[in-house]
Amino acid sequence: MEDFSAVYRECYPRVLAYAACHAGPRLAEDITSETFTIAWRKSGQMPSNALPWLLGIARNLVRAAHRQTTTYELTDFPADDDFAVIELRAALSSLSEADQEVLTLIAWHGLAAAEAAQVLGCTTATFFVRLHRARRRLQAALWTPKFDSARESWKTS
Amino acid sequence: MEDVLKNLAEARPPVPEVDAARMERDLARIIALPRERPVRKQFVRRFAPLAVVAAVITLVVVALPAPPQPVQPAAPAPWWRVLRQQTSLMVVGEPAKPYVVRFGSKTDQWQAGNREIAVVQKDGEVKPYARDDDAAWEAAGRPEVVPQLGGSRSVRIGPMAPAVQESYVSGLSLTSAYWERLESFDDLPADPAGMRAKLQPEEKGAYELADLVMAVMIANVRDDQRRGGFELLKSLDGARYLDHVRLPSGGEGVGVAIPAPPQFQFSGVETWFVINPGTGKPVLKRNVLTSSQHGLPVNTPISEEQYLLLEKTNVEPVLPLGVPVNGKVESPIIER
Repeated sequence: MEDFSAVYRECYPRVLAYAACHAGPRLAEDITSETFTIAWRKSGQMPSNALPWLLGIARNLVRAAHRQTTTYELTDFPADDDFAVIELRAALSSLSEADQEVLTLIAWHGLAAAEAAQVLGCTTATFFVRLHRARRRLQAALWTPKFDSARESWKTS
Repeated sequence: MEDVLKNLAEARPPVPEVDAARMERDLARIIALPRERPVRKQFVRRFAPLAVVAAVITLVVVALPAPPQPVQPAAPAPWWRVLRQQTSLMVVGEPAKPYVVRFGSKTDQWQAGNREIAVVQKDGEVKPYARDDDAAWEAAGRPEVVPQLGGSRSVRIGPMAPAVQESYVSGLSLTSAYWERLESFDDLPADPAGMRAKLQPEEKGAYELADLVMAVMIANVRDDQRRGGFELLKSLDGARYLDHVRLPSGGEGVGVAIPAPPQFQFSGVETWFVINPGTGKPVLKRNVLTSSQHGLPVNTPISEEQYLLLEKTNVEPVLPLGVPVNGKVESPIIER
């Protein structure tokens, strides 16, 4: 029980951040709570590095959330972000869901490739291939004329 | 290319602060729950030879020619299917000339054990709501993309693309944190007091509890549990019994109205949950305005889901052709 409590306190902020990024702040705490409830029930299966395993559970819950959420309750981001950030998010959202997952597990959630592979249920080698392709596609999306202004603003910032 | 991930890291959406009190409260609740018993390795090791012998005997018995079997009853239906027709309203356009659009789509959902398959945005379309809204949209030049009023996103007018999602999550997600208790509905009491105690081990608001009870009534539960759920809804603080609700498909239902929290663009809302008095099954969940807002009169449904099918079925899920499972969902609400 002490082990679980230690993992809970250590990983809670990371799971909360994952849930907030992918399901919005309104649902983030509920998803985090459910993630750890499931983790407790299955704590016999919890690996020593628990974070990827926990994010795998949270990932399933986020998908379930997307199905249950009505259109006007979808995740919304603040409107005061700068232009480059908005454009980058737009480029990201133009990619497939699979590409977005690969990129955000690394860039937003700070996982190592082996950990991210565990979340997605693939091998590390496969993950590297997917990451390479996803980065290329994000880069291509940003280099379309629509995103030129965003690129320029990064150069000057 | 190297900087793409670095730039992306800077574009991470804001993350809420950890609420330490809630975190500790949840931890205390979670570790009070029972855990799955781990399989004892020693036990497995000791009885593994016996298991092998049993498996060999079983194999031999199965391989023997079987005598003619009597006709077996049909296997129990493996899927619980919920087909919803969903609609919702959103105010869009320039602040000086706002108008209302209507989202309409179906969600077809099959659940069997932990497996869930859903077709979302089926037959979906976004279009101006009423004649005046259509005229305002025409006057604005029939734009394909219009900004939300008071939001940071835009709405794409026109048909929606269907998507198929498959996952392995069971129970009632997101309506509460009581995952463990609701994984199986078998031991959910059918009497309202027992059900309330089971669903609300700690104090919750009337609406949160109502939302959970409604989710239970839509799920694959017994008829007596549905009846108990409806009685529980009627007994909640602020609930009002609705004895004649005209249904969009014709006919009438009975229901419960309960004050709802404010929603995006709308405050002063109540939720109506309507059942078929003959079968006890839910037919409609509707959020209506309790005061006139954005030019919409009192009792306007701002969002609604009709339950077209709530049934056990042996029919395998019917998926749209050419739509990849777990592919991208092209939401009609897009980045501005």
